[in-house]
Amino acid sequence: MMRGPSFSRRDFLARSGGGFGMIALASMLAEQGVLGQNTRARNPLTPRAPHNEAKAHRIIFLFMSGGPSHLELFDPKPDLQRLHGQPLPASFGPVATRRNVERNRLLATRRTFRRHGQAGTEVSDLLPNVAQCVDDICVLRGCRGDSVTHPESVYLMNTGSILMGRASLGSWVAYGLGTESQNMPAFVVLPDPGGWVKGGAPAWGNGYLPAAYQGTVLSGGAAPIRYLNPPAGVTQNQQRRTLDLVNQLNQEHLRLRHNDDELAARIAAYELAFRMQMHAPEVVDTSRETQATRRLYGLERPETAEFGLRCLLARRMVERGVRFVQVYCGDTGGWDGHTEVDANHARLCAQSDLPIAGLLRDLKSRGLLDSTLVVWGGEFGRTPMTEGTTGRDHNPHGFTMWLAGGGVKGGQTIGETDAVGLRAAEDIAHVHDIHATILHLLGVDHERLTYRHNGRDERLTDVSGTVIERALS
Amino acid sequence: MKQSILVLMLLASSHHLGAGEPEWSAEKRNHWAWKAPVRPKVPAVKAETWVRTPIDAFILAKLETVGLTPATPASREQLIRRVTFDLIGLPPTLEEIDAFVQSSAKPQAAYEAVVDRLLASPHYGERWGRHWLDLARFAESNGYEFDEPRPNAWRYRDYVIAAFNSDKPFDRFIKEQLAGDELWPDNPQALIATGFNLLGPDMTDASNQLQRRQNSLDDMTDTAGLVFLGMTVGCARCHNHKFEPFSASDYFRLQAFFTPAEFRRDLTVADAAHRATHDQQMKVYLALTKETHASLDTLESPYRQKMYQARLVKLSDDDRLAHQTPEEQRTGAQKEMVANTARRLIVTAKEITGAMTKEHQAEQVRLLQLLKKHDAQKPATLPAAMALQETGKAPKTFILKRGELRNPGVEVQAGWPTILSPGLRAEPAPIAAPSPRTTGRRTAFAEWIASPTHPLTARVIVNRLWQHHFGRGIVATPNDFGVRGERPTHPELLDWLATEFVEHGWSVKKMHRLMLLSATYQQAALNQDGSKKDPTNTLLGRMNRLRLEGEIIRDSLLAVGGRLNKKLAGPSIFPPLPPEAAQGAKDWKASADPAEHFRRSVYIFARRNLRFPFLEPFDLPDSNQSCPKREQSTTAPQALALLNASDVTAAAKALAARVEKQAGTTDERITLAYRLTLGRTPSDAERRITRAFLQESPLHEFCRALFNVNEFVYLD
Repeated sequence: MMRGPSFSRRDFLARSGGGFGMIALASMLAEQGVLGQNTRARNPLTPRAPHNEAKAHRIIFLFMSGGPSHLELFDPKPDLQRLHGQPLPASFGPVATRRNVERNRLLATRRTFRRHGQAGTEVSDLLPNVAQCVDDICVLRGCRGDSVTHPESVYLMNTGSILMGRASLGSWVAYGLGTESQNMPAFVVLPDPGGWVKGGAPAWGNGYLPAAYQGTVLSGGAAPIRYLNPPAGVTQNQQRRTLDLVNQLNQEHLRLRHNDDELAARIAAYELAFRMQMHAPEVVDTSRETQATRRLYGLERPETAEFGLRCLLARRMVERGVRFVQVYCGDTGGWDGHTEVDANHARLCAQSDLPIAGLLRDLKSRGLLDSTLVVWGGEFGRTPMTEGTTGRDHNPHGFTMWLAGGGVKGGQTIGETDAVGLRAAEDIAHVHDIHATILHLLGVDHERLTYRHNGRDERLTDVSGTVIERALS
Repeated sequence: MKQSILVLMLLASSHHLGAGEPEWSAEKRNHWAWKAPVRPKVPAVKAETWVRTPIDAFILAKLETVGLTPATPASREQLIRRVTFDLIGLPPTLEEIDAFVQSSAKPQAAYEAVVDRLLASPHYGERWGRHWLDLARFAESNGYEFDEPRPNAWRYRDYVIAAFNSDKPFDRFIKEQLAGDELWPDNPQALIATGFNLLGPDMTDASNQLQRRQNSLDDMTDTAGLVFLGMTVGCARCHNHKFEPFSASDYFRLQAFFTPAEFRRDLTVADAAHRATHDQQMKVYLALTKETHASLDTLESPYRQKMYQARLVKLSDDDRLAHQTPEEQRTGAQKEMVANTARRLIVTAKEITGAMTKEHQAEQVRLLQLLKKHDAQKPATLPAAMALQETGKAPKTFILKRGELRNPGVEVQAGWPTILSPGLRAEPAPIAAPSPRTTGRRTAFAEWIASPTHPLTARVIVNRLWQHHFGRGIVATPNDFGVRGERPTHPELLDWLATEFVEHGWSVKKMHRLMLLSATYQQAALNQDGSKKDPTNTLLGRMNRLRLEGEIIRDSLLAVGGRLNKKLAGPSIFPPLPPEAAQGAKDWKASADPAEHFRRSVYIFARRNLRFPFLEPFDLPDSNQSCPKREQSTTAPQALALLNASDVTAAAKALAARVEKQAGTTDERITLAYRLTLGRTPSDAERRITRAFLQESPLHEFCRALFNVNEFVYLD
């Protein structure tokens, strides 16, 4: 439990609840004497103070779906170049892979790496723009997961468990911290329009947490949120009139039932739904962004326009107080370079490098980077052994992620993989450690953020997780 | 002398706990729920005239101790609406309301007739079966990356609905689900029932197939514990339970009841007569077509072989060797390799035809046409279902350290949890194999659970029934009766109900009657004195306002517009998805017959990775773990769905059309729409507000508004 309120938090979370950013409305209605005393406390998305001082107040998770190769992007391995074409030396011992890839030959990368920024962080030539931002970035080269398959690893990275159906990181954050947004959901997901991540919607599910905390899928265009717009043939005026009628009838009903909190909360949810309907189109409308901003995200270039737009939407949402935005890069196949890993990554880097750098630069110039945590990574990395002759298989044993922004000490590289980049070897960061660190930056103690379910105090990090102290500023 | 015997016994019992068994505190050992319920005396009360069933005496006795008077009875309109939604999940019709409100019978007799009518309705099973499906984590796809459909899973759904409708004794219901294949191997329904154990998510393409099986074993052990025992046994999988007297060894002793089981996805579930007819017909058909089949095989075989071989050589040496090794000789690793690569070797009929020469293709067409002539003689495929089965072999069960398959510890034998065993002895359960083909382990397990003296089983189920009727269980944590679970608010009532249930043949319908006919259930939802003295209504001095679930909202929308298709049972349906929800929706093709789109929500195909969009915001359980009580959140996306979904607009237009047809004046139309939607006539104030609205808005907009008012989803 976050704190120790006198009422049962679990009980009211389960029964009551709210819409998005109810605070202003709830307090407004409370002044009008509409809502009972408890209403403010009973809104599940009311902003809540974290356990500790928060360095980051919101988070953008750039999820590289399919498993990007650390060996092509952030983790140069001279020994791998040298041993190209040879089998993995016996000294590495047995390796769990899906199709006995451990017996395949080692594959050197075709990429060249250079040191960038004051810190001299090594980045490959596939990421020329992100390379210019490295002094804001903390690269974690010693990451480790638990499974060699996509859905299990997607669930692990998103929910802390390889099993399906646990609560996602975003829903934990929404549960723990609520939202500052008046008109938008606390947790927004921008899937790749080319196809959803392997494992699908449970990756942003609320699991056993109440539905108020689930990720809301948002897309660009005229209908950014499901059921947002009035039905065909219903004007905004008619929608307002119909809602007013609902409200009038509800007020009478409420009065006769002694202003029951639960009923009042539902009335407030309708008002918020209407406000979302009014405001969400503005959030996704980027027409007023300057040319310079549009260029920053690559909106005028065909290869970057789509992902760039979603990165820009992410900024617009955190600007408006959305707590957690997750942006997927790569369709269902995505970064899954089983064949031609080099060409696959060249294509996806061409799509994402400029927009990601644009996002970091834009957040920085607006003074938002200090309070916004940006996370980059996929469900795992890729093997140094080849698959076929040009591909790489899944590698949860060692891979790279990076953190930037709120509370992160940029300009450094933490952790190492072994000589060929197969396993995390130094300063190993398991996914639970990464989750613990993310929550820590948001001011949340991962051991104290719990939810009782079927007799167990569930938490994101299960029974482990250590904050990566060196990553903190 | 006596004393020394006692000491010896104590020593013996503590010895039986074995190495590594934790010592439990007295609090854990003496927890109320581990002791069998003893039927308590019905308490005496002052206001005897209020009491209609013994339940009321238990409730009233507590109310009287705090000086609280029960609420007045609900109005007849409120009561019929409440009990109809509660039992069948549909709104009462105007005729049903009128008949009850205007009945000249005594109030209790008239109400009793309503309850009996509803309990006899086939829609009762649809409503209460759904509660069970929540517990059973029912879904019709595998989940994970591929989320393959389970084409036979609906048979379990129909089994559950039929079980509730026929008031199958609950002990029998338990035994069928845990051990139907062992106890009634020739009864298709009993086989289908065992599908219960396999309903959880399943990663079919898991890289480690042994781990996949272990995941399923864990899931069925955990689920049986939660559903039948109200015990959070799953926590002990990785370590001794932190809070409950339940050790890791207890966990795997429980799991050992399941380890001999084979997990069948498509077990034939026809009875003997059906099977005989089928086999006879098949014999005739095969005789008729023998030559044609042989010719086809001669024609296709070389192509198939060639393509298969071409694919086989592309596999790695090890994978190929695994495929070439006879199945029964394959090592575990080889089985895994085969499972991983089998997909790559499949040769489809289409590919064969494509590879053929023109002449062979023509010959193939001729032969297929010949076959087609006998299609009428070909018997329909026998029904199949997900089910457990055994071969009689029993692999050993080991404690898995930290729950990890690669980390086996000592071997254990199937047995009850130590805390529920006589003398706290962790002994192997007595097991008799009913036939050489099965070990009888699950039979022993099921009979232990369904025993009339089991301390938990009856309490757990009557508590579930109570929870759905009254909005909160006597034990508020329905899947957790352990030390850390909530204490019962009315422990004597719980025990009285549990013993009553068992004494009356485990009849669920009788238990419904008892609860519904109580004065407690018939109270109004308002009691001003009660709100002050008992704000959380723990003592039930008023009725809790029940809230409709997403499925019931959708069913009601269809019903009030007169569009509901009440067809029962059968394979699941696919109503069309709204265009904005189509993203990410593979394998969802709207049912060809549009009438199917208007069937009840319990029949909508339950896909794990694509929950039906209209229902999703309404706390639909995620079906990955047992869900004993749905969350009831109130969110803006719910409001958006109920305001803007095309299904709602269509329902509003249907209701408007119905009202326009059946009523002439504006006033009559307002009244009729109110009665159909909310089951009552509007007040003067409501009529006035509505009339003003209709000055500038169409009737169907008023209908849409009615679907969105609180009263539509919250029952008084």
